[in-house]
Amino acid sequence: MTQYIGSGRVAPALDRRRQATLSAFAERHFRWLIALPAVGLILALSVYPLLFSLWVNFVNYDFDIPGHDFVGLQNFADVVSDPNARSALLVTALLSVVNVAIEFVLGLALALALIKTFRGRTLVMSILIVPLFISPVIVGQSWALFLERPFGPADYLLGEILGHPVTVSWLTESPWYYLSIIIADIWQWTPFMFVVLLAGLAAIPPHLYEVAELDALSARMTFLYITVPQLAPVILLAITFRLLDAVRLFDVIFMMTGGGPGAATYTVSYYLYQVGFQQFHLGVATAGSWIFLILLSIVIWVLVRRLLRAEKS
Amino acid sequence: MAEAATRLLRGRPSAAVPRILCIGLFVIFVLVPLYWMVITSIKPTSDYLAIPPVWFPAEPTIVHYTAALFSYRGLDGLINSLVIASASTVLSTVLGTLMAYSMARFNTGGEHLAFWVLSQRFLPPVATALPLFLMFRSWHLYDTHVGLIIVYTVMTLPLSVWMMYAYFRQLPRSLEDAALVDGLSRWQALWMVAVPLAVPGIVAAAVFVFVAVWTEFFFALVLTSRHAFTLPTVFRAFLGFQGAQYGEACALATTSLVPSIVLGILVQRHLVRGLTLGALRG
Amino acid sequence: MAGVRISGLHKHFAGVHAVRGIDLDIPDGEFTVLVGPSGCGKSTLLRTIAGLEDADAGTIEIGEQVVNAVRPRDRDVAMVFQDYALYPHMTVFGNISLSLRARGRPKAEIEARVRRVADLLGIVNLLGRYPRQLSGGQRQRVAIGRAIVRNPRVFLFDEPLSNLDAQLRDEMRSEIKRLHQDIATTMIYVTHDQIEAMTLADRIVLMRDGWIEQEGAPLDLYEQPATMFVAGFLGSPQMNFLRGRLLCSGEGAVVRFGEGETALALPPARRRPNMGDGAEVIVGLRPEHARRAAGTEPTPGAARIEATIELLQPTGSRSYATFRLAGQPVLAELQAHDVSRPGERIPIDLDLRRAAIFDPQSGKAL
Repeated sequence: MTQYIGSGRVAPALDRRRQATLSAFAERHFRWLIALPAVGLILALSVYPLLFSLWVNFVNYDFDIPGHDFVGLQNFADVVSDPNARSALLVTALLSVVNVAIEFVLGLALALALIKTFRGRTLVMSILIVPLFISPVIVGQSWALFLERPFGPADYLLGEILGHPVTVSWLTESPWYYLSIIIADIWQWTPFMFVVLLAGLAAIPPHLYEVAELDALSARMTFLYITVPQLAPVILLAITFRLLDAVRLFDVIFMMTGGGPGAATYTVSYYLYQVGFQQFHLGVATAGSWIFLILLSIVIWVLVRRLLRAEKS
Repeated sequence: MAEAATRLLRGRPSAAVPRILCIGLFVIFVLVPLYWMVITSIKPTSDYLAIPPVWFPAEPTIVHYTAALFSYRGLDGLINSLVIASASTVLSTVLGTLMAYSMARFNTGGEHLAFWVLSQRFLPPVATALPLFLMFRSWHLYDTHVGLIIVYTVMTLPLSVWMMYAYFRQLPRSLEDAALVDGLSRWQALWMVAVPLAVPGIVAAAVFVFVAVWTEFFFALVLTSRHAFTLPTVFRAFLGFQGAQYGEACALATTSLVPSIVLGILVQRHLVRGLTLGALRG
Repeated sequence: MAGVRISGLHKHFAGVHAVRGIDLDIPDGEFTVLVGPSGCGKSTLLRTIAGLEDADAGTIEIGEQVVNAVRPRDRDVAMVFQDYALYPHMTVFGNISLSLRARGRPKAEIEARVRRVADLLGIVNLLGRYPRQLSGGQRQRVAIGRAIVRNPRVFLFDEPLSNLDAQLRDEMRSEIKRLHQDIATTMIYVTHDQIEAMTLADRIVLMRDGWIEQEGAPLDLYEQPATMFVAGFLGSPQMNFLRGRLLCSGEGAVVRFGEGETALALPPARRRPNMGDGAEVIVGLRPEHARRAAGTEPTPGAARIEATIELLQPTGSRSYATFRLAGQPVLAELQAHDVSRPGERIPIDLDLRRAAIFDPQSGKAL
């Protein structure tokens, strides 16, 4: 590459040296240069918006009320005093824990059931992982359709199985709407637990089981003394990942109950969506999201740190 | 390993029944709602409210598909999703691989950078969506393809970085070292030696990124409107089901499902790596 | 304590016929080593005895009881694995005592038995530690302790020393030998290391490609190998194999090497009826039977030759010297100072009384 200055060319020697210094620079700082684009993008579209929203917390930002006057902690107060916010937090916490717990138990059962090879195992595995790749909105819609009367066959099927007619309004009747959400969530995410726990089981050194067999350990002892301790780090990983995703519950709520009836199935994300993007009280919503973030960060800090440590050892 | 377990469970026939029951029940659990959704998409409207429910229509129809794709702009959503997901995948995979290489080979940023990137994965979308909504409006990125593409790239960077990070760490350095000794620059060693070796990992990461973007709803809901909307947002139109658009809703859902599932099955071997961001090998 | 008898055992493994019709009779209390190159089926055989694999055909008897259908846990055998297979989340005490706890033995008895075993193996001070805190040798001792504490009828060892470094391996070898002297239980030991086989075994079973190439006392296999494979496998450095042609004349016989420039007389004692005149043979001579000549006459039965030493490998106590016999390389074991540098020419006595003669086609000894 040569440079044109004025009407002539720069002497090739000078040009080569410039090129040499450039590539030497690139070589020396290679590691930073290639990481830069990704880091830059994250800073621009994740960190910067968060900093911006930090400012929004303390000003008036509302499509109804013009101007961005400083309002101190008013936004936060509005959130904290809103009963919908409190109930959303409670619903989120409860649903997340219940979902993850059920997914863990079912996932472990499936993993234990499928650790052994058998004919058709590959086909079963392929079927079981399908829910993981489906958009959560479709999962929500699919279960809404299946459960809701008069269109969904759920009540009819249940009626046939149980022997007496079932007339449950799965999406509007308390407490069935919680159950519906739980069913949709575990339908989609139990395979996650299953796959991860299965991988963990498969990584247990087979000789341990062989020694246990020769030592005549009972199935219970083998499970408690070999399987569970060996699986512990994987269990921690699976629950961490799943829990931190479960608290974001939104798509399924949106499609199945719309937060209702009333605000009974509001989750934190759905509540903030309502306040910020339906009512456009953006300042209040931002404050709410920061409270949520802080609560979440504590959980992340504890769990993810422990995860990384475990991976090291 | 499964062989050893097989051996040792041999002498316990009683264990087989609960196993089969557990597997069977869950398979049915997975398949039934899916089946109902797919079959509804080809049911004539008259079968909708039939009791007992119609499990296979006497006269299947594809009229719902045409309605969903054209009357409800499903096709536009599909195309937008395709474009946006593809672009995000390319960007995310490329940038992610570069960063992962830096972290894996040079320990750039150490534990702190790794942790920071990982924690981005757990950031709830609503936290960044609110400010991004405001920012995009002033930057004229609201309801644009570009806007969503860069948002999705950032959203999936933790996934592609961590998957490739784990992958590069278990790739032996000796080939790259040999290249360096032979006079290649680090850049050349990366592109001509490391990347070709890492292709299976890159492809797997790309598939996971694509599926993540293809199925994403919240950012698309909040940051798009009539122009750059993606496929998941189209389902809003069917909410409430007053006009009995069950068929259309299911038709669109089935259309969206197919690429998702196909890709998912293809990348089955890397599933555990993708789900755990490379933490487990599977 | 019990003997083990195997009859007509066949096992297919991953599409390979891993064990082809093995018959083996191991008396009670004997230390039997299954040795051979990797893939010869020794590990598969061992695992089949343990019950971790099912036999495809044939019977396995432990102590006069046919155990083919008996589950591993009921066969009363213990196994020591190459990778120790210790329970990582239990202390050494926990590891050793687990099998006793599983069988519901009273606490006092467990304590006593574990301590006795720990004493025997010199690991009493490790009882409170976890496996990750132990060295390889210590872990292997714990693994052995876990096996001993059960007082099984048979001990099985699957290449237990392969993960240890050379010095540790020597040490553990002696320990295992001493253990057998103390406990006197039937032990079946798998290894690919011929030194372990030679030093530990009461009886060696040399396996190859799924069948038994030869079995017997170590020195028997060493001195009277049935095939070239056996001769080449045992003994380090390896036996020299020289191609030649046998020429008989009356009572005497001579082996001619190369184009006839070298011919060595075969002692009458080595002559066998199945050695034909003019037959192609392979003469096997161990390095220790090629010594620097002493005295004016070769020792009876030995042939003397002049050798130019090409290569010298001193080990301290002795030196291995390579020379050529009619173009074929021969390794001789000499004393440390027999030769000072390559190129020297010295007389060498080849003790043909100890030589093995093989048929090149079948590899069998003649």
